[in-house]
Amino acid sequence: MENKLHVSDLRISFKTTSGKVQAVRNISFDLDKGETLAIVGESGSGKSVTSKAILGILAGNSIIEGGEIIYDGKDLLKISEDDFHHIRGDKIAMIFQDPMSSLNPIVKIGRQLTEAMILKGKARQRESRANFNGFLKNLNLAMKQAAAEAGKSADAEIDAMCRKFDDFEHNHIKLEAAFNQARDAALDAIETIDELSFEMEKNAVKDMKYRVSQMVRESLQAIHPYLVSTRADELTQLTKDLPKLAEAGRKAGSFAEVLPKLAGIKAILQEAVALPVPDFFAMGYNDAFGGGKLPECPVPEINGILEQKLHDEFLNKFESYVEMALRFSAGRSAGKKKEAIEVLGTCAADFPEDAVLERKAADSAAKKLIDAVEATKNPVEFKKDSLTFTFESSIRGEIDTYFTGVRKNVIEQRRHDRMQAKHDRLVKKGREPDWTVPAAAITDLEQVKANIRHLADRLVSHYGTLLDAEAGRDFSAETQDVIAYLKTSASGVVEKVTKTTARLKALKLMEEVGIHDPRQRFNQYPFEFSGGMRQRIVIAIALAANPDILICDEPTTALDVTVQSQILELINNLKRERQLSVIFITHDLGVVANMADRIAVMYAGKIVEYGTAEEVFYNPVHPYTWALLSSMPDLDTDQRLEAIPGTPPNMIYPPKGDAFAPRNKYALKVDFELPPPMFKVSDTHYAATWLLHPQAPKVEPPAIVTERIARMKARMEERNA
Amino acid sequence: MPDMKVEVPIEDDVLLKVDHLCQYFGPMKAVDDVSFTVKKGEVFGLVGESGCGKTTTGRSIIKLYDITSGSVYFKGVRVCAGKKSFYDAIREARKEFREKSRDASPEEKAALKAKMDAIIAEQQENIKKADYDNKNCDKEYIEKLRAAAEEKYRPLIDSAATAEEKARLTREYRNELRKASKTKLITKIQMIFQDPIASLDPRMTVREIISEGLLIQGEKDQKVIEQKVYEMLELVGLVREHASRYPHEFSGGQRQRIGVARSIIMNPDMIIADEPVSALDVSIQAQVINLLNDLREKFGLTILFIAHNLSVVKYFSDRIGVMYYGKLVELAPSDELFLNPLHPYTRSLLSAIPLPDPLYEKTRQRVTYNPLAEHDYSVDKPSLREVKPGHFVMCNQAEFDRYMAILK
Repeated sequence: MENKLHVSDLRISFKTTSGKVQAVRNISFDLDKGETLAIVGESGSGKSVTSKAILGILAGNSIIEGGEIIYDGKDLLKISEDDFHHIRGDKIAMIFQDPMSSLNPIVKIGRQLTEAMILKGKARQRESRANFNGFLKNLNLAMKQAAAEAGKSADAEIDAMCRKFDDFEHNHIKLEAAFNQARDAALDAIETIDELSFEMEKNAVKDMKYRVSQMVRESLQAIHPYLVSTRADELTQLTKDLPKLAEAGRKAGSFAEVLPKLAGIKAILQEAVALPVPDFFAMGYNDAFGGGKLPECPVPEINGILEQKLHDEFLNKFESYVEMALRFSAGRSAGKKKEAIEVLGTCAADFPEDAVLERKAADSAAKKLIDAVEATKNPVEFKKDSLTFTFESSIRGEIDTYFTGVRKNVIEQRRHDRMQAKHDRLVKKGREPDWTVPAAAITDLEQVKANIRHLADRLVSHYGTLLDAEAGRDFSAETQDVIAYLKTSASGVVEKVTKTTARLKALKLMEEVGIHDPRQRFNQYPFEFSGGMRQRIVIAIALAANPDILICDEPTTALDVTVQSQILELINNLKRERQLSVIFITHDLGVVANMADRIAVMYAGKIVEYGTAEEVFYNPVHPYTWALLSSMPDLDTDQRLEAIPGTPPNMIYPPKGDAFAPRNKYALKVDFELPPPMFKVSDTHYAATWLLHPQAPKVEPPAIVTERIARMKARMEERNA
Repeated sequence: MPDMKVEVPIEDDVLLKVDHLCQYFGPMKAVDDVSFTVKKGEVFGLVGESGCGKTTTGRSIIKLYDITSGSVYFKGVRVCAGKKSFYDAIREARKEFREKSRDASPEEKAALKAKMDAIIAEQQENIKKADYDNKNCDKEYIEKLRAAAEEKYRPLIDSAATAEEKARLTREYRNELRKASKTKLITKIQMIFQDPIASLDPRMTVREIISEGLLIQGEKDQKVIEQKVYEMLELVGLVREHASRYPHEFSGGQRQRIGVARSIIMNPDMIIADEPVSALDVSIQAQVINLLNDLREKFGLTILFIAHNLSVVKYFSDRIGVMYYGKLVELAPSDELFLNPLHPYTRSLLSAIPLPDPLYEKTRQRVTYNPLAEHDYSVDKPSLREVKPGHFVMCNQAEFDRYMAILK
């Protein structure tokens, strides 16, 4: 599994008039590609704060105390606002709980849907071009260096080859895009025909004229040399005057004339989409370099001929050069890593315990480390090594924290002393002041230095594992990956988003999220939609950018069951289709059973239980998870619900021991004194409760939970039998 | 068109009877010909997706809207009546007369005219009755209250020992009479709203919020008000000190408790709970549901429970009505509904319920409901039919036969 997002040791607090509220306390989790992680907890447990931190939209009074959020080789807590513009909404999108506050009330829905698409479309095009060109340049350089090392001088040849690749790759993408467009049109037309003929049989067609002409337009778009080619005339014949005929049919109340034509069109289109797909990569080469006319024969044969030609004339040689470059560059990087390990080893001496740092010395020491780490970067590796890439920003951030701390701790301590003195004075006078002195917000300088040392140690061990794995690398497979990467970057350059395409895409999205008559609703304002409909619009907007990671903050809490289940299905489907990673935040455990691969239960800013969905539902071990499970009825519940008594703790003064202890009827004495560590239940299942300690008394979950689990197991066996 | 002429006798244990209720907003039929009864001490659940008219039904019952047609009976008194059906009948009669009399002989014409006039007269009578009921439904109830007060105080006053005692009793008696004359029958139905933040005035203290209904009803004695407010606060699990605070100082669950206290203080016979837990955290939902359950046992409250969370509705209700686009499509005791869902919409709704069971969830198939594909109502129109004692389904004859076969 490819790791998409890595959160470690995240600590966030909010500055308020009555003190520092510790909203998130040491949270760590990973998110893999195509995985759903559900974060469950009450309001105030810090789940929304975590998600907002990932998106960089924390409120102004927030303080990030520490930790890191690593995405695509960047630490999201440390990058600049300008850099965040390329990530927020584009790579990481969010669906908010309250749709009305995330829609602009005075802009029409359609505009709000397409606005981001058009803006981001241009940005994406620019970015893809930069990626493609930059990477090809790096590759070119590496090839030359590799050749030079091998004693060959092939600079001219390599340059020519790269230029050639650049040329025909663009050709390939253009051909492929045209074909895909035609094919998509054909698929859409088939879908519309199915709907139309069903409705025509029932004599209940809505919005007919537009839909029929849309269908005709789409089916005509499907005319393409490798799609509808020989039967193109037949198709044109069939679609001629179809909208008029349909309109006449509606007036007469019978669609006898139209239906057979629809069936005919559908047959042609279905035949076309079932045809084999030509190899456009090879065809692009052929077109670009005078391959001449293609022979008249079936597609698979053409593919064979073209691929043969491509490999003979170009690709075999190109691939061998790429492989050579990769091998050379990897070898160089490995050498630099060995050097870096030595340099990093000096870190402990530069940032020693119990010693005050000097700004100048600290900066130069940091520079030495950063230079060593920078040198290990491999320019022809497109998967960025996140630890290497975030090292500079992390270490600079820590040093800044240290020196701001040095300055501010004095001021803060003085302020605190003054308040305390005032309070003491009042108490001495016999008055009872109705305010308390908030704890001083002092930065722990030793901790910061420890963080820096930890950064270096972690990188050393990371490099160790990488160097061990160096021997087993399969460079020919990596060569293929590199070429595939170049192809995808190139496809981003060609994809152009115009107003019309954005509108069509928006209409399709609106239909996908279950909005009827999208054409009419496109021009309405948010207040004309009901709550559920608004939420669907927000989801459509979030999906329009085709993000990598989707954060859903209680997206279905305000919706009813049918819509909720539609939306969840929609998110699930998108996740499968686009390999989307989803973070799903909710207080309703029932919802996440459907969605989640893994579940993290949060309470008072900490993760208290963490495991796969099956483990958390069938074998919950933390009393808070029990309480959540037993406080909601399911279809078989008839006993009294077990509500959780009391309210979550005040996070200005977090409890000393387990934060849930005061509301927990299973609390042990130690729960009030010591915070429990994460106990391991299985390889994927952890929980922070003293009940798991070997010396703890045996405690059974509440009856309502055990009975439900027994019922679920019985039902499962029944199904299996 | 609902037939309004039949006066349905109301059984004793029926507290609320909704009879062919229609609520149109312009061309939009928010509620279309919905009939059901709610018995005393029962929890009746209304479910359906958003926009299906369940909230509108609740609001029409409590007279927040003027209903389009149909009637609502509460404690045997018609509290609201719509008139559109009567006007429609008159228009229909006139149209029929015009069409039929076009080529009829003079005698036939006279007979037709007489028939039309009879219909018009009857409908106008209905309209008058509806107007009267809408205006005067409280009078009867006030009379009843006054009589009860008299019955209680008359003998007490007569048998009072001292003059002071007598004066005090007379004062109390007058107070009762005054309050009675201000009472409206509809205040015996109270509402709990979905959003506890939006439904409480942020500028009023909890004491003011809870006692507002009493003040409107004419209660002037501050001591009585204070006493009652404290009683209510303790009843819903808050403490006396909370009375002088403002709503923003409370958590979501506590705010909803204030909403509950505000409606209970009116000593209602019935509560319309419109999504009372949907906006709350799961742990707090359980607190509020438990509270409503306790109050129901304590006061024998009748509750119309409107919600979209089917697990909660199932847990809480005795009978459930399923609404789809303004129509009641299925009505049954809650166990029966979940055991034998018959209407395809109900089945689709039940198939969408998420359960805390991941393996089951991963295989759960949601059934979609497409009225066009499911029903053929081109010839035979559907109506609400009883397929089993207490179990009604909206269907036509063919479907009815099919459902009966399934149940066997």
